[in-house]
Amino acid sequence: MFVSRRNKGGIIAAAAIAAAALVTSALPAHAETGVTSSTIKLGITVPLTGAAAPGYNKVPYAMKAYFDYVNANGGVNGRKIQLVIKDDGYSPATTLSVTNDLILKDKVFALVGTLGTANNEATTRLVNSHKVPRLFVNTGFSAFADMKKYPTTFPLFPSYATEAKVMGKYLADNFAGKKVALIYQDDDFGADALKGFATAGTTFVAKIPYSSLSQADPSVVGKWVTTLATAQADAVIMFGVTSATGALAGGLYKAGLIGKVQMILGSVGSDGTTLKGLLGPLAPALAGSIAASFLPSPSDATDEYVNLFKSVNTQYNAGATFDNNVLVGMNTAMMTVQALRAAGTNPTRASLIKAIEAKGSTFASAAFSSISYSAKSHVGYSGYWFGKLGTDGNAVSVDGAGKYTLYSTDSGTAPVVKSAPARTAMPAKGLPTN
Amino acid sequence: MATFFNTILVGISSGSIYALMSLSLVLVWRSTRVVNFAAAGQAVLSTYLGYEAMSRLHNYWLSLPIAVIAGALISALVESCVMRPLAKRSKGTAVESIAPVIATLGILGLIRGVVGLIWGNTFLQYTSPLSSKGFTIGHTTIPFSPLNAAIVIGAAIVLAIFAAIFRFTRLGLALRAASFQPEISRLSGIRVDRIRTIGWAFAGAAGALAGALVTPTAYLSPNSLDLLLVSGFVAAVIGGLESLIGAVVGGLVLGVGFAFILQYIGTQVTFSAAFIILIIVLFIRPQGIFGRGGSREA
Amino acid sequence: MKRKSPAARFLISLGIGAILLFASGHVDELRAYQGAQVAIYAIAIASIVLLTGFSGQISLGHGALLAVGGYAAVIAQIHWHLPYPLTFLIGGIAGALAGYVLGIAAARLRGPYLAGTTLALAVGLPSLANQFHILGGEQGLPFDVGTAPTWIGKDFTQYRWFFWVAVTAALAIFWLLRNLLSTRYGRRWRAVRANPTAAALAGIDIAKAKVLAFTLSSAVAGLSGALFAMLLGLVAPLAFTLTLSFTLVTGAVLAGVSNLGGSIVGALVLVAIPELSNVVATHLGGSDRVTANLPGVVTSVLLIVTVLLAPNGPRIPRRHK
Repeated sequence: MFVSRRNKGGIIAAAAIAAAALVTSALPAHAETGVTSSTIKLGITVPLTGAAAPGYNKVPYAMKAYFDYVNANGGVNGRKIQLVIKDDGYSPATTLSVTNDLILKDKVFALVGTLGTANNEATTRLVNSHKVPRLFVNTGFSAFADMKKYPTTFPLFPSYATEAKVMGKYLADNFAGKKVALIYQDDDFGADALKGFATAGTTFVAKIPYSSLSQADPSVVGKWVTTLATAQADAVIMFGVTSATGALAGGLYKAGLIGKVQMILGSVGSDGTTLKGLLGPLAPALAGSIAASFLPSPSDATDEYVNLFKSVNTQYNAGATFDNNVLVGMNTAMMTVQALRAAGTNPTRASLIKAIEAKGSTFASAAFSSISYSAKSHVGYSGYWFGKLGTDGNAVSVDGAGKYTLYSTDSGTAPVVKSAPARTAMPAKGLPTN
Repeated sequence: MATFFNTILVGISSGSIYALMSLSLVLVWRSTRVVNFAAAGQAVLSTYLGYEAMSRLHNYWLSLPIAVIAGALISALVESCVMRPLAKRSKGTAVESIAPVIATLGILGLIRGVVGLIWGNTFLQYTSPLSSKGFTIGHTTIPFSPLNAAIVIGAAIVLAIFAAIFRFTRLGLALRAASFQPEISRLSGIRVDRIRTIGWAFAGAAGALAGALVTPTAYLSPNSLDLLLVSGFVAAVIGGLESLIGAVVGGLVLGVGFAFILQYIGTQVTFSAAFIILIIVLFIRPQGIFGRGGSREA
Repeated sequence: MKRKSPAARFLISLGIGAILLFASGHVDELRAYQGAQVAIYAIAIASIVLLTGFSGQISLGHGALLAVGGYAAVIAQIHWHLPYPLTFLIGGIAGALAGYVLGIAAARLRGPYLAGTTLALAVGLPSLANQFHILGGEQGLPFDVGTAPTWIGKDFTQYRWFFWVAVTAALAIFWLLRNLLSTRYGRRWRAVRANPTAAALAGIDIAKAKVLAFTLSSAVAGLSGALFAMLLGLVAPLAFTLTLSFTLVTGAVLAGVSNLGGSIVGALVLVAIPELSNVVATHLGGSDRVTANLPGVVTSVLLIVTVLLAPNGPRIPRRHK
């Protein structure tokens, strides 16, 4: 009774599944889920709708654009990459539901670029039990590098703790003796950062936590600015999402504090295009803000990766504005293609994970940091550079355009090291040949 | 001391924003006894239409009345196409009190989706020529801008207009009668259905004004008025739901209370603050500040 | 209402259970998951039916009570190392305690005021998890009820096991509630709902009846919260959003509000609607913007149409003013 009732609602779905099953079984048999002789199917969960969507909703389409570019140039060992995109509205319960669909119904080979800390946490049991590779998750929460708890998961972004330590070092070098305040998102994102600042020994005149999404309320922003003014802060670190940066800039403008309080932005909250959309005519107020990034500036015309991704974006991404979100998506996709190539001519889930552990540290990627993947580590990037935002919202390196100093460290207690960027040169036309 | 006054000003700025949304909710409640969760959606849609008007006319002051009229029409449409048939069908059933709430949630989702379809899930900027930079007194900039002043004035105008309509016009009398005693009103020749639609249209206009005045202080997205909906509803409940003045006072109580809690207790309680304020007010007066106690059930 | 003895109801529950559990072996994992989802939603919706349909109180914040039950169950497992059936019970008890406190406040408030208060609670409560270390912050706390015991059989998938647990819990709850509602408590609530004045004249303590209903409803909500945590494998603030609260009220309306059995129909519709709208959206296709927003549009339209066409609550005696 239960089954038939359920299916009344989903007869079409059931028919579709049945049809899909027939089609799949007609193809030459292959050992691995999600891989046929001509295709590899990947899945991603990301907020496409809801309050968290703006900005992040560009990432999967940028990934798709790069996959289309690779597909047009022969694919991966003759197989075309398909990306199934699912909207989770940033709710972990929905993430689990749609990931069930991805793994059990769409039968994807691997997940890639799945977004959000709690969202990835909610699908961990499912992912682990089916041994589905989960590549290059879109969160900087440091715990995902724990190989025991997340054996198939590969974080790529440097952790928030790393970012805070690096910022601490930058402050010690450039803002010694100045009064610095910290505004941070009051959850694991911020907690990870507090840990990093504590390790770096940074002291603040004021620490202001805010609840995720509460930045949309004018009272909350009013409180930030009142606190900054009372503490007579010379600089303020914003360790939050882009809409919080926008709210802070608006608040400082309102209080006549632009130019008096230096804004220092984390990598999560400094996307230029999104900020411009948020602030409109106030966008120039952001000029001069310092921002930490791990990828090159989307406006750096001398960077080979940026230029390639720009041309792919023009050709395959229906005129989307080129920004940090597009850059993140294309870079993740390029890493994915190399991982799939490294997994061999008949890739399996196990061979994919092995291949990244064995060769991931040599993959070409746009970030200036090295990659630390090995059989003993699932840590990706570990370094940042600092830039100043221009009036167009994009960051230019503090050392001058195209010149980058890399600050690297780990999530633990290792010291922060300054170095020249160390990254693998881009393969010809941005098409991996590894 | 400066912090204290600044906190009051922050509270008044945000409180007047809550008050505008609260007025819209109270107007709907007064005319049909429905808590309209679609109000945020309707206001977002009318603001997007204002944004379109602005991008063509390049004049905020011309786009403002367009948004307000659009808001009234959208609201009238919602009432006559969904809420009226629903009220007729669910009358006297167990779902009478909550089915309309669910319908307005459905409309909220529908509007959000349609807005996303047309304009995309991105941040847009609907800007006002009024500055968002605080007034300067002597050498200090206070956290109260010309834009905030416009919102306070907007709330005052809405309050004055509707208070006058309810008190001095035949329409106002009909509106009140139709909501309190629909059967008797019908018998005495009032076209209750049409009057209710007018009540919704008024509410839509007020909500649209809220959206068009508030959006320039932040940004426009399909979800940009979500938080305002919750604050507006809580403000309306604090004020007593029935009363227009209550809506404004409720908004200000919530805004100022919120600002003080954030400033002197901490931002950790941001999302619990509304609950705390509401519980305190309702503990003292279970029917809200301006509500009439016990005479009727919802 | 048909009169059946508790024993007869027990046999019926047992029969339904046997059929469902047998069926679970013949569907794929995805359906098993959705089946578990339906069972858990059904319990949560029943908690609202109990409150609104039988005592006339409105809650827009039951998501918060699910959170209380979920977190309590997880903490009972992590810190007290209780076996999972007991953690579910703890979830229910925690829900009851929270509901009792809330119910005392609620008994003072009329319809929209109560709706506003519970709404503010649903917004405020889950975010508190970030303030207390023991609650695990944003990424929450893991909850693991383990896999099926080996005596049930080999190749028993995780989701099939969840389905068994959820269905067993649902049947037990429905059996208990059915019996409870045919006692004098059930009759009192119905009397309070239909005509408070008459009920008061007949010597029923209205406030007390309402508080009791709120407590019981919250206990059921807490239990469903624990089951919800089982299905998710964790509790986290983002898992208990306002949207969840609204979803449950929606389910209750679809269920007709005053009928316990309707809860199951409401739960089925809740699980079927997103899937249906995905099918429609995929069918229509279009640009990125369309594929992102179409499911939301279709879901909302379905919701409005369902509410419009099926306010199927039975007529209750009209109150004479």
